[in-house]
Amino acid sequence: MAKAFKYGLKGIKGYLEPAERELLRSLFADVISMLEPAERANEDPLAALVGLDADAREPSDRALRRLLPNVMKNDDDASLEFRRYTERSLRESKIGALKAAALSLDREDLVLTPADARHWATALNDVRLVLAERLDIRDDADADNVHLMQDWSQAEDVESYLALVYNFTTWLQESLVQAMVHSLDARR
Amino acid sequence: MTLSVALGPDTRESTQTGTVTSTDVLTAPDIPWNLVIWNDPVNLMSYVSYVFRSYFGYSEAKANKLMMEVHKKGRSIVAHGSKEQVEQHAVAMHGYGLWATVEKATGGTGSGSGKGKGKRG
Repeated sequence: MAKAFKYGLKGIKGYLEPAERELLRSLFADVISMLEPAERANEDPLAALVGLDADAREPSDRALRRLLPNVMKNDDDASLEFRRYTERSLRESKIGALKAAALSLDREDLVLTPADARHWATALNDVRLVLAERLDIRDDADADNVHLMQDWSQAEDVESYLALVYNFTTWLQESLVQAMVHSLDARR
Repeated sequence: MTLSVALGPDTRESTQTGTVTSTDVLTAPDIPWNLVIWNDPVNLMSYVSYVFRSYFGYSEAKANKLMMEVHKKGRSIVAHGSKEQVEQHAVAMHGYGLWATVEKATGGTGSGSGKGKGKRG
C-alpha cells in the first residue's frame, strides 16, 4: 500500500508499491500523449522554436480543453489568437512536469526535492482533470459519488476502475499538497 | 473544488496573521484587467490555496479567503493588472491546472457567476 507523502528533514518522502508506480507511469504517459502536438510537415522551424503555432485550435476533446482552456470567457477570436502564441509552450511545460514525475518513479526512494514536488503536484492534477472528464464529473455531487468508490474488489467495469484510480490519485495529490504546505510553512 | 478524501481533519497550524501584499494596493481604475479563477469539482481546495500562496506570494489567510470565494461563489478575481500581466498569470494558472480567464475590469459589479454545473468556456 502506498504511504502518504510526508515533509521531513530530507524533503518530501513518499512510498509506492511497484504496481502503483506502474499505474502512475501509464497515467503520466497517457496524458503526455494527449498533450504532444501533432507533427506537421510544413512547419516553420523558427516559429516552432519561439513557441508560435499558427494552426492552434481550441481542442475538440473535453479533457484537453480543460487542460488548455480558453483565456477569455466570451471572446473566442481573442482566445484563439492568444492560444497561437501560448499553447505550444503550455503543452511543453505540462509534458515536462509529467516526464519529470515519471522519471522520479524510477528511483528506489521516492524523496522529492521542491522542484520534484511541484512537478508531481501539477502532473497529478492534470491526470485527475483528465480522469474527471472521462468519469463525467460535472459538479460536487458527481465528485462525491465517485469518492464513494473505495473498494478495489468492486472494480467490475471500466468506470468503476477509473473511479478507483481517480480516488487514489486524489488521495496521493492531497497528501503531497499537505506536505508542500508544511514545507512552505517551515521555510517562513 | 473538492476536499481531501482520506486525510482526515485539518492539520494545518494557523500561526498566520494575514499580511497584505503589494497587489492589494492596486485598484481597478488604474489597471483595467482582472484574472478570474473559476470553480470546478476536481481541483483540491488545498491545492488551489497552495497555488495562490506560492505563485502570487499571498498570505495563507488571503489565499484561503480567495479559494473559498472560488468554491462558494463559483469564481473569484484573484489579481489585477495590465492585460499582459493578467494574461501571463492566466498561462501560469493553466500550467498549474487551474481554470483561469482574463476579463476587462468593469469597475464594479462583475456579474456572470459561473457557479454550479462546471460549464467550461
